[in-house]
Amino acid sequence: MISNLEYRLNFFTDAVIQPFLTALIELTLWIAIFATASSDTIGGFTKDFYLAYALWTAFVGRITASWMYEFRMLEEIDSGSINGLLVRPMSFFEYYLSQLMGYKAITSILSLLVPLLLIQVFKLPTELSRIPMALLLITYYLVLVHSMSFVITSLGFHFNRIYSITTAKNLGLWLLSGELIPLDLLPSPYREWLLMLPFSSAVYVPVAYITGRAGSELLVQGFVSITWGLAFFGVLGFFMWRWGLRKYVGTGA
Amino acid sequence: MMKYLRLYKAFFKASLVADMEYRANFLTRIVTDIFWYLAQIITFEALFTHTELIGTWNVLQMRVFLGVLFVVDAFYMIMFSENLDKFSDKVRKGEMDLLLAKPVDSQFILSCQRVNTAIFGNLLMGVGWLIFALRGLPDFDALRLLWLLILIPAGLTALYSVRFMFGATAVIFTKSENLQYIWYQVYKLGMRPDHIYFPWLKYVLLTLFPVALVASVPSRAILESPNYGMFLWVVIWSAVLLWLSHKFWHFCLKFYSSASS
Repeated sequence: MISNLEYRLNFFTDAVIQPFLTALIELTLWIAIFATASSDTIGGFTKDFYLAYALWTAFVGRITASWMYEFRMLEEIDSGSINGLLVRPMSFFEYYLSQLMGYKAITSILSLLVPLLLIQVFKLPTELSRIPMALLLITYYLVLVHSMSFVITSLGFHFNRIYSITTAKNLGLWLLSGELIPLDLLPSPYREWLLMLPFSSAVYVPVAYITGRAGSELLVQGFVSITWGLAFFGVLGFFMWRWGLRKYVGTGA
Repeated sequence: MMKYLRLYKAFFKASLVADMEYRANFLTRIVTDIFWYLAQIITFEALFTHTELIGTWNVLQMRVFLGVLFVVDAFYMIMFSENLDKFSDKVRKGEMDLLLAKPVDSQFILSCQRVNTAIFGNLLMGVGWLIFALRGLPDFDALRLLWLLILIPAGLTALYSVRFMFGATAVIFTKSENLQYIWYQVYKLGMRPDHIYFPWLKYVLLTLFPVALVASVPSRAILESPNYGMFLWVVIWSAVLLWLSHKFWHFCLKFYSSASS
């Protein structure tokens, strides 16, 4: 956590500037859509609901995405510096989970202040009492994100330079999480399929819950889907890591 | 000029060999961009199931916009993206010394040394989508495509020049990743039609940060009556930006101190 704060400008860019600009782009899109829409509502919700969704999504999406630590984990294997971590009395998974959670705890506080302030200024729909439970879901989802990163990192034992897999995974999650558009706008049965997957808990479920698009039943479904996602990626990661370690020859730094 | 063309051909060959060496990465990069294309397409297709217009364009026109965006973005990714993304790294690791000592223009070698050959597949997909979108237009005039021969290179030049200037700041500040991050966010503004933006923002995107020249202006050339004033502006402004980028680069070089031992 302290090491992340050393790069304060990087940190501020990551936590505030990037999501702020993303929100600006999405807000202008929704304003343009409603300016030419034939009705006051789209999919049963008014413009304010979409503006609130776009605002929260930019920041929540930033919190639940994992680029930096996955790249670092892959670099450890690529460069051979993982040797120093393997001999520590803490597993590689735990070491990077603690790093990720520390970083996300700080970025979350800073990131969430901006939408909290803006919804007050523009009077956008948000149920403040729901934020703690949504944050709990986001925290739980981060463990799943880290488990997926661990699976991808395990591939680093078999292939060189697989950083593109991280990019592909994050773009896939961008598509599946509801960061682009609210998942309830997708036609059936895609909407139902995506909601059943744990990835919707990255953005759509917590943001829909906070902004009042969905009730607590969706939040519960989110917790359940993350749990089976964790079971799947946990088991997969366990075996892939063991398989990778058997192949790893420990050359490098 | 011929010397630079020969050099670019050599860069291309070397890049292709390097890309094929890491095949998993090569293939994943293609898959990654398929996800990116899908994301853009699904977003607009889903939105148009709930509304007939976004800004002034309908779904058929938006498909053309996306096609132009995919094609221009693929060209940018092939030619410049990887070189300019690693600008800061090159400065920090002292790799610039060797490049500056070569008997060619340093801006050229820094901008073109690496050709991203994996993106050629994406270019084909982009062209495929554009053809599909154009075939869907009820009043499509094929002659308008000729405008793209001017507007796409001009837009790319403008985009490259501004991105290069962002990258060149690494010579002054050494660690300028934040400025690069901000550039990516600005670039994202160009991935939406410029007419959805507030007038002041649209003006900024046509001048100071000319990302609207990437896809919005070429798309308008296909979809709407020609705006000769705008086309002239794009060509002149891209030439000015290229000249400015060259001047700015030489200004930045005055601050350069070798990082290698």
